[in-house]
Amino acid sequence: MVTRLIDRSVTAFAWLSGLVLTASVVGLMGYVLIKGMGSLSPRLFFGNTAPLDALLLRRQVFDGIFPATVGTLTLVGLAIFIAMPIGIAAGIYMAEFATPRIQSVFGLFFDILAGIPSILVGLFGFSVALFFHHRVSDRIAPCLLISALSLAFLVLPYLIRTTQTALENLPRHVRVTAPALGASRLQTIIYVLLPQALSGIVSGVILSVGRCAEDTAVIMLTGVVATAGLPSSLLSSYEALPFFIYTISAQYADQAELMRGYGAAIVLLAVCALLFTLATLIRHRLADHLFYGTR
Amino acid sequence: MSRTEGRLHWLMAISTLVLLLAGFCPAMAGDLDPFSGMTGTVKISGGTAHIPVMKEAAKRIMQNNPDIRITVAGGGSGVGIKQVGEGLVDIGNSGRKPTDEEIAKYDLKMFKWAIDGVGVVANPENRVKALSKNQVKAIFAGRIDNWKAVGGMDKAINVYTRDEASGTREVFWKKAIDKEDITPGANVVVSNGAMKSAVANDPYGIGYVSVGHIDASVMPLAIDGVTPTLETVKSGQYPVARGLFSNTRGEPTGLTQTFIAFLFSETGQKIAAEKGFVAVK
Amino acid sequence: MRTERLVQRLLGLAAGCSVAVTLLIFGFMVILGLPLATGGTFFRMFTSAWLPHQGVYGIAPMVAGTLSIASLAVVFSVPVSLGCAALISVLGSGPLPALLHRLVRFMTGIPTVVYGFAGIFLLVPLVREWAGRGSGMCILSAALLLGVLIAPTMILFFSDSFASVPRTYLEAAEALGATPVQKLLHVVIPCSWRGLTSGVVLALGRAVGDTLIALMIAGNATAMPGSVLEPARTLTAHIALVVAADFDSLEFRTLFACGIILYLCTTVMVIFTRRIGAAWEQQRW
Repeated sequence: MVTRLIDRSVTAFAWLSGLVLTASVVGLMGYVLIKGMGSLSPRLFFGNTAPLDALLLRRQVFDGIFPATVGTLTLVGLAIFIAMPIGIAAGIYMAEFATPRIQSVFGLFFDILAGIPSILVGLFGFSVALFFHHRVSDRIAPCLLISALSLAFLVLPYLIRTTQTALENLPRHVRVTAPALGASRLQTIIYVLLPQALSGIVSGVILSVGRCAEDTAVIMLTGVVATAGLPSSLLSSYEALPFFIYTISAQYADQAELMRGYGAAIVLLAVCALLFTLATLIRHRLADHLFYGTR
Repeated sequence: MSRTEGRLHWLMAISTLVLLLAGFCPAMAGDLDPFSGMTGTVKISGGTAHIPVMKEAAKRIMQNNPDIRITVAGGGSGVGIKQVGEGLVDIGNSGRKPTDEEIAKYDLKMFKWAIDGVGVVANPENRVKALSKNQVKAIFAGRIDNWKAVGGMDKAINVYTRDEASGTREVFWKKAIDKEDITPGANVVVSNGAMKSAVANDPYGIGYVSVGHIDASVMPLAIDGVTPTLETVKSGQYPVARGLFSNTRGEPTGLTQTFIAFLFSETGQKIAAEKGFVAVK
Repeated sequence: MRTERLVQRLLGLAAGCSVAVTLLIFGFMVILGLPLATGGTFFRMFTSAWLPHQGVYGIAPMVAGTLSIASLAVVFSVPVSLGCAALISVLGSGPLPALLHRLVRFMTGIPTVVYGFAGIFLLVPLVREWAGRGSGMCILSAALLLGVLIAPTMILFFSDSFASVPRTYLEAAEALGATPVQKLLHVVIPCSWRGLTSGVVLALGRAVGDTLIALMIAGNATAMPGSVLEPARTLTAHIALVVAADFDSLEFRTLFACGIILYLCTTVMVIFTRRIGAAWEQQRW
């Protein structure tokens, strides 16, 4: 009797939990989607500027999220461009060359880097920018390049971990065949192991892209501004979608601007969902336990 | 057709076009002329009361001159002064006069292009329409914490204040509440815009905001019988007034100089007035 | 052979650089925060309030804010996450639990700022009306939202560790006639407590480290929070709010003290979970 009661209540509690979680997420996201659906149009991006003029960079866009979108794309591209070679190289090193001792010591550092709050990475980027401003050149200030570097640091541990895990999880027979045929260690890595682990590595890269695109804490300390137009150089300030959403949430001037905020939130959500789906399609459950760890 | 005649036609066509354009945008297009052919970037940060004017000015300038970039960031007056002093930006805005210490330290040149006030605002739903200065002081110090005590509904007062870098906070603290400490329990928002939306969304909120930012979404509260409006600030009746400054390190040059000159031009002053400030010219 | 050694060196260099970044971040904070320690203000900071007009830059309220928001978020999130994980890996049947699993994984990809945006316009007014006092921007709102944010971290970790309970144990329990709930309570949970602990610690780490939710939702007041309906400021939000203000002042230096606290916090949590993880691996094999 008691057993059945416990059985029932535990089961009910589990289902209730599932319901609560689903309701919260669907409620929050649904709210944004429903309120913001109406704002989705070319006007959201280009404001009063003709889309073609904007895309061909003939005219600057005001009252639209085009500059913020381009800013985010540029930023993410740069950050991944910096982080990818280092991250993948370090991952290969960890999986194929590092001794167990190095693996465990370096692994600890990568875990810490993955775990520290992103605002600290931003604070670091900001301090570095100031340091260079005082010591090296007046022209250096928080800017696109500094933000991209900071974001690269932020996603570095994810890239290293996915690459490392993708390589380590390869079946043993894959690992031993090539050397048995006389291939050198390097040849084995380049021609056998990396291609085999590619899906894991690529999904890691894609998830890192998503991570860069959504981050706000790092960029708000390292150079993002409210109005900048399209980024003109690596050393210029820029606009970005997540910062735009953050700013609008606090200080929308009128209803039209608030609607742009909703629109931007939907766009960012869609971008992240797209990247996420892409990564899921590519990976085979591989990076699963790596990515929800820390932020 | 003689050569002179041809030139005449040409001139006429141009002048018709100019007239048409002038009719099209009522602001004097001539004020934007100094920018033509210029390239480069002006970085602006600091005072958040200034932002609407800066954005509008940037928009007009950049629309006509695609090679000019004007970036606008907030942060507050303290940030503006520090950043321009450190050379991180070209123009640091402040909603208060920089202190003598700051002026000396950074060799600041100040340009006051508009006059503004700092008004106490509440949600339009609020029954309370006016407060005495002492009530304002008591509310912001946290001594009065219920609207009932000042004739409103029986609801706790939610005090909103600004961050330490804010010039608006500085002016309000000095002139409106006689340097009494603001309760640390107050919600902190980071810009005039944020203050406006916070109070607009909170039926029991009270805060202070640049008079230029006051619109229908918030209700200005009369203090000792004087409602903060453009007129009362202009006439000097409303005492919590301040200048809006744009500061540069040393004399401005090049594009920065042109930008500041633009703020003082007819168009620039018109923008300031449109955004709710008292023009200086 | 020589190219191979060269490549190995280069790869090692990349790994070394990544380690260096980790150390550099800490180094920068220690160097920039050091004048505080020598000035004798370092320890006073942790006990005093934030009163910039009096030149007192204590961060005690922010420490309290961080602790209360993060721990409350975990308190909200643990039971729900446990329930969801149980549903996904032990109790549930049919397509719904699988769908829930997919949703949870998708949640890891939702931008924090979008949560914050929805929170401001949906959650804050609800909390304000429900509480009947305060602005709705308070510890409770932030903790609720943060609870949703960190749930997937826990659920995925929990369900993974549930799934790694040896099948033989489960079969033994089944042979004894145990119901799914009994299996969960008497076999699965006791066997995976290490995974559960790690999951909670990881989630706590995320809650402590999150900036945006607190910054957008918690009200950022500098007073010591007295109840969950009062606004509070976290260490991370404090960094975001003050950083822009000043570079060479004591005020700015205190940010590095906040940074050091957060960094050390992370390090302790990481070492803790790694220890547990290592022991867990040993136990399993």
